[in-house]
Amino acid sequence: MGRRVLLLVPARSYRAADFMLAATKMGLDLTVASDGALPTGGRPVIPAHPDDPDRSAGQIASCCGPVDAVVATDTPMLLLAAAVADRLGLPHNPVGAVLAASDKARQRQLWADAGVAQPRYETVPAHAPAAAVRRAAAATGFPCVVKAVSLSASQGVLRADDAAEAVRAATRIRRILAAARQRAAEPLLVEDYLPGPELSIDGLLTGGALTPVAVFDKPAMPDGPTFEETLLVTPSRLARHVLAAAVRTAGHAARELGLQTGPVHAELRVTASGPAMLELAARSIGGLCSRALRFPGDKSLEELILANALGEPVPAGSPPAPRPSGVFMVPVARAGVLRAVEGRSEAEAVPGITGVTITIPLGRWVRPLPDGDQYLGFVFAEAVTPDEVEKALTTASQRLRPVIE
Amino acid sequence: MVSDLAAEVTAALARSILPSVIARGASVRVVAARDGVVTLEADGSPGAVLPILGRIEAQLRAAVPAVTAVRLAGADPEPPSPPETEDLSRAAQRILDAEANPAIAAHRGHVAVDSVSDGWVRIRLEGGCQGCSLAEVTIRQGLEPLLRARLPAMTGVADVTDHEAGTDPFFSPEKR
Repeated sequence: MGRRVLLLVPARSYRAADFMLAATKMGLDLTVASDGALPTGGRPVIPAHPDDPDRSAGQIASCCGPVDAVVATDTPMLLLAAAVADRLGLPHNPVGAVLAASDKARQRQLWADAGVAQPRYETVPAHAPAAAVRRAAAATGFPCVVKAVSLSASQGVLRADDAAEAVRAATRIRRILAAARQRAAEPLLVEDYLPGPELSIDGLLTGGALTPVAVFDKPAMPDGPTFEETLLVTPSRLARHVLAAAVRTAGHAARELGLQTGPVHAELRVTASGPAMLELAARSIGGLCSRALRFPGDKSLEELILANALGEPVPAGSPPAPRPSGVFMVPVARAGVLRAVEGRSEAEAVPGITGVTITIPLGRWVRPLPDGDQYLGFVFAEAVTPDEVEKALTTASQRLRPVIE
Repeated sequence: MVSDLAAEVTAALARSILPSVIARGASVRVVAARDGVVTLEADGSPGAVLPILGRIEAQLRAAVPAVTAVRLAGADPEPPSPPETEDLSRAAQRILDAEANPAIAAHRGHVAVDSVSDGWVRIRLEGGCQGCSLAEVTIRQGLEPLLRARLPAMTGVADVTDHEAGTDPFFSPEKR
């Protein structure tokens, strides 16, 4: 009998198709649970309610039958996946660890207690007056970064160069939180702005030990006031000892959150005193970015994640990608209705470009950071060197002309 | 002996096209290259290749100027359907209309059989299904098992929808 995996798939996700393809390629027998009511007919999708994880986990565990692993394809299902796996007696992250990894203030606190390198920070309680923001910013020093603790994809993150800007940033972020219907009593983080190159590390945890599978440079990371993550290039061009230190820091950070198993996506900045943690999530890289990666045996990142969940060893040591590759996430330049993305053929014709995918349907209202959380699409490249990948992505991005009215 | 054109196209495929095709669950290789016309053959899911064939051609023509046209083996205008193929197509559409489309209509969607060849039923998702973030789940958990159970002669289901062109998906990916 084939191995059976319970896949928890949120209704709004870029990640469903890649996990389904990976499972098909691996010959897995899939059971799907989702909060998207699906007219599937053939094999019923189990209803999932990530907002009520305890109750939903009980319902899913009682009707999913025997499975060998539980995997969440994206952020909204992480907590529910841990709760279901706990009920089924399968390897999983402790619920508390998943909660800690989804709360940037809790992360900061746990890392501070454990001495993980990170920015100086202050927490500003919800509803605190402007004076509290000023005090926190002054204690942190300028420039500082004001951020929401629950959002992702650089949404609700702003740099401030003085106290007045910090207060304005806090006011704006609270409006974003209200619009995003986040919990009303959410505090804000005010933290030291760390200059230096930024990188992201994707890895898999086995018994709390981190095996890195991809390290991306972020060569176009802006200095603020907003922090669009547009350009990702792998393998990293940073010195080997710097990368080793970054991986050690990310592994330490994951352990201190209590994470034990599954994918992690860590973001760090390399400062004069070494790598420092910005954030860590108990999931793989977001959007369609994983499509920039291929692993030995022509495997996808999703295949590695599913294999890891099934207890198979993670391939380590060799370069993760057969050739340097990268992805450009097309940012939203201004608010409005997306009418077209022109220049696509010209972008695709750039040597090294392997694909251009526009993911926002035409006619949709879009908003730039820090208010929005969307990218218009993804451009993929592959070349002989990381520099050529970066050049191809930069050239292609300059040829794309989103029309937003 | 492999022609120069075939070698050039093979190199261009490996350099800039294969990764995105593989990411869609398929692979392509050059089976012929003559007088500027390149014929590719797809392995894996043909549904992963057909919607992007135009883009593959544009990239190959840009990379190898001698290329004038790109064809996919088995995807050219199909020969008259043998009776069994026609039966499979009609049967698949009938099953979809009776057992899937009424429910899918609740998601503003519709599923149509695009074509059938070598036992593969190629379906096109329309309306709310086109570009839906859960379309692959609907196909692999719903439509394919349904058709497989009813049509033992079927080899598999391939999705030939251009999902990027969908303007009204029921579930949009949007958030990272």
